[in-house]
Amino acid sequence: MNRIWFNRIFYLCCLAAIAASIFFLFFLIAVILWNGLQAVSLDFIFTPSSNFGSQGGVLYQILGSLLLIITTALIVCPIALGTALYQSEYIKKPALKKLCSILTYGLNGVPSIIFGLFGLIVFVNFLGMGISWFAGSIILAFMILPTVILATFQSMNSIPQIYRESAESLGLSKWQVNMKVVVPQGIHGMISGLFLGLARAIGETAPIMFIATAFSGATLPGSIFGPVSSLPTHILALSQQATNPQALTNAWGASLMLVVLVSIFSISALMTRIKYTSVTAR
Amino acid sequence: MAMSRWTDNFGYGFIVTGTVLCSALIILIILVVGLYSLEAVSRIGIDLFTLEWNPGRNRFGIIPMLYGSVAVTSIAMLIAVPLGLLAAIFSAEMLPRRLRNPVKAFLELLAGIPSIIYGLLGIVLLGVWLADLFDLSSGRVILTGGLLLAIMVLPTLISLADDALRNVPDRYRESGKSLGLYPYQVIAKIVLPAARADLTGAILLALGRALGETMAVMLVIGGIDRIPQPFVNILSPGQTITSKLGRELAEAAFGSLHFSALITMGLILLVSVLLFTGISLHYFKPQQRLYE
Repeated sequence: MNRIWFNRIFYLCCLAAIAASIFFLFFLIAVILWNGLQAVSLDFIFTPSSNFGSQGGVLYQILGSLLLIITTALIVCPIALGTALYQSEYIKKPALKKLCSILTYGLNGVPSIIFGLFGLIVFVNFLGMGISWFAGSIILAFMILPTVILATFQSMNSIPQIYRESAESLGLSKWQVNMKVVVPQGIHGMISGLFLGLARAIGETAPIMFIATAFSGATLPGSIFGPVSSLPTHILALSQQATNPQALTNAWGASLMLVVLVSIFSISALMTRIKYTSVTAR
Repeated sequence: MAMSRWTDNFGYGFIVTGTVLCSALIILIILVVGLYSLEAVSRIGIDLFTLEWNPGRNRFGIIPMLYGSVAVTSIAMLIAVPLGLLAAIFSAEMLPRRLRNPVKAFLELLAGIPSIIYGLLGIVLLGVWLADLFDLSSGRVILTGGLLLAIMVLPTLISLADDALRNVPDRYRESGKSLGLYPYQVIAKIVLPAARADLTGAILLALGRALGETMAVMLVIGGIDRIPQPFVNILSPGQTITSKLGRELAEAAFGSLHFSALITMGLILLVSVLLFTGISLHYFKPQQRLYE
């Protein structure tokens, strides 16, 4: 009889744990939506902020965030594609393969504030770029590089060997095989990895707060070496004046916009993955 | 033909350079952070491990920040690990199969909510509730940081633990059932031991995340560089390595002793997080023999 009771209690414990977790998480979404929807309107999205962000909207913050991650994507794509190609097509020694994967996972584990610190030392001070859009994009690119490399590598690595052999038997050189077979067949991994990485990059505050962003009054940067404004750092500035109800309302509005942007990228990543797994699984 | 050989070589050169740069990046980061912490280590030396942080008086004791990081991370893990493991057991072992993927997608979406938004929630809701509950003058205390971190790592932890449990083949469970074991016995005696390596890896990964988290903790921790009296009093404000870096890095003059002392804390953080990542990688290694 004891065992039946144990079993029931165990089941109830697990049920309680998942109910509690789901409750927290639903509550979180509900709070963001509830408070955010009260603040967001078309006006909020299309007017620049004023009075240190407590009035007006978030136009330049949204544009700044988009500029940052578009540049990030442009930097990260060629590097990640090349690295994944080399790791999957040229590195044959298991020891070297392992070393590469350890270094990539290591980079993936570096806390985001350390990237900020590294960027501050190397790009802002040592290379003299100052607080700039470009420094921020490079650092964000470094940060999401492992995600994109791993996703690209996995999709390239899962291409059947017979594809490459058929292409070689037609007389294609190694590089032509890469360009005509491996890259086209593996590019979807890079795209879904890129979306995942960008979803993370657009929400990060710690890496860019010292090196890329100016206070809430900034508009569009004049050049690639000018400071931008971004949604996450805007929320940071507003939440430090949380006693002002107007600032708080705007902080919730900016948070909702940020969550929407992040979700767009996460859902695109999910869609890419679903669409292409069904093709390769045939 | 000559043209094609040229593109071949150029392309090959490009991808080799890319790979070398990517692999070197992590080493470069460690080197740069190490180099800039040299000044503080050589000029302050053992005095780094004292209790007082006061740049104006050239006192750079980092013990309060180390304490804060350990305290906040421990609170977070004490709450998140049991909750996350039980929730993962439910989702992997008891949930109907058709509900699995929606739950998984929901968790992944949640893991993507930016940390600054958790920080905002912490200031506006969690901190205020805790202040009311414990009758505090301000809700920005170590406990708030710990609770917030627990909620933040929960989706990642559940998702990874769930993967780990599903990697255990069904015939293990069937053998257990055929011996007349009850479901809780199958889970406790067969599934959990078989998934132990992956589960440890998942917990270590979550631990590394919690230790390196900056924005949310920085907003709710209070920002006082002191070890509370007595030291188990988690209802007093504190400071973690990450929140200290986030608050002071922009103020410290580049190249000063103050800056270098901050970077030294960053180095300690980086090394410990890399250590956890390394150990978790070791655990994630597939154990072929077990599953055969």
